Amino acid sequence: MPDDESFDFAGCLQRVRVRDQAAARELVEHLYPLVIRIVRARLPRRVPEEDLAQEIFLKMFSRLEQYQGSVPFPHWVSRIAVTTCIDHLRAQQRRPEFRWADLSENEADMLDAVLTNENDTAPDDALEAHELVHKLLGQLKPDDRLVIQLLDLEQKTIAEISALTGWNQSLVKVRAFRARRKLQKMFQELKRKERS
Amino acid sequence: MKPQVQDSAWQKLVAAARRAPDERATTAPYGFATRVAALALAAERRPFGSLFERFSWRALGVAALLAIGSVAADYASLSKSADDDGVFDETAVTSVFDVAGT
Repeated sequence: MPDDESFDFAGCLQRVRVRDQAAARELVEHLYPLVIRIVRARLPRRVPEEDLAQEIFLKMFSRLEQYQGSVPFPHWVSRIAVTTCIDHLRAQQRRPEFRWADLSENEADMLDAVLTNENDTAPDDALEAHELVHKLLGQLKPDDRLVIQLLDLEQKTIAEISALTGWNQSLVKVRAFRARRKLQKMFQELKRKERS
Repeated sequence: MKPQVQDSAWQKLVAAARRAPDERATTAPYGFATRVAALALAAERRPFGSLFERFSWRALGVAALLAIGSVAADYASLSKSADDDGVFDETAVTSVFDVAGT
């Protein structure tokens, strides 16, 4: 796959606008890694990643006339991908209740360890931690979840999140604050349940 | 448990989660790009394909205009026949009363 610098977006988009199917295919193939990473990071439950990626690309093509070139084309597509994922997450109103019983043995041990140990050692099993983090994030509202995921997991700045989502920076901060408070409550609740 | 400790628990989990490798392939599955490109270009063509739909709406509008026009054009005779109906009804009613009176 050629990188973004070597890929001729302007030329490719020009050809897509005159209905060149080969150009459309090239564009999809080039942008697929970017889109699938966004989809995988925010995949709503029960939605196959390929279906979601297809929906994002179809939106991209249908809105192509709106692209003015003020931002790089991959950024513009990223925004479509993020908002499409958010729309799907919002459509799934109900979030499954978080219970100890739903955790695997390793996940439960890991959660117990981070809740009880006050030292700074991070858990060893990255994959288990990843699963656990996503289960916890699943308890948040979709918008709050997106912000905390971008901030903490993907280590993006407030400005980058603002550019990616189209939300102003104050709103991003408010959502981050709300998400952290919800996570704190969740940890308190888990701790209480664990003791009982 | 203090909020700082909870936040620290979250940060520890997140730090570990960031180290999780994602080894899944990121290249488009075979046929994906071809299918999406074909669907996208077909969807763009659809406005021209929906000519029948557009003509149907136009035909409905024309039919509605014709109906209104014909009612307006024939309004005089319609109102006259309505008046005739009124007279007829009146006559019928009075004759019933006449019969009842006799």
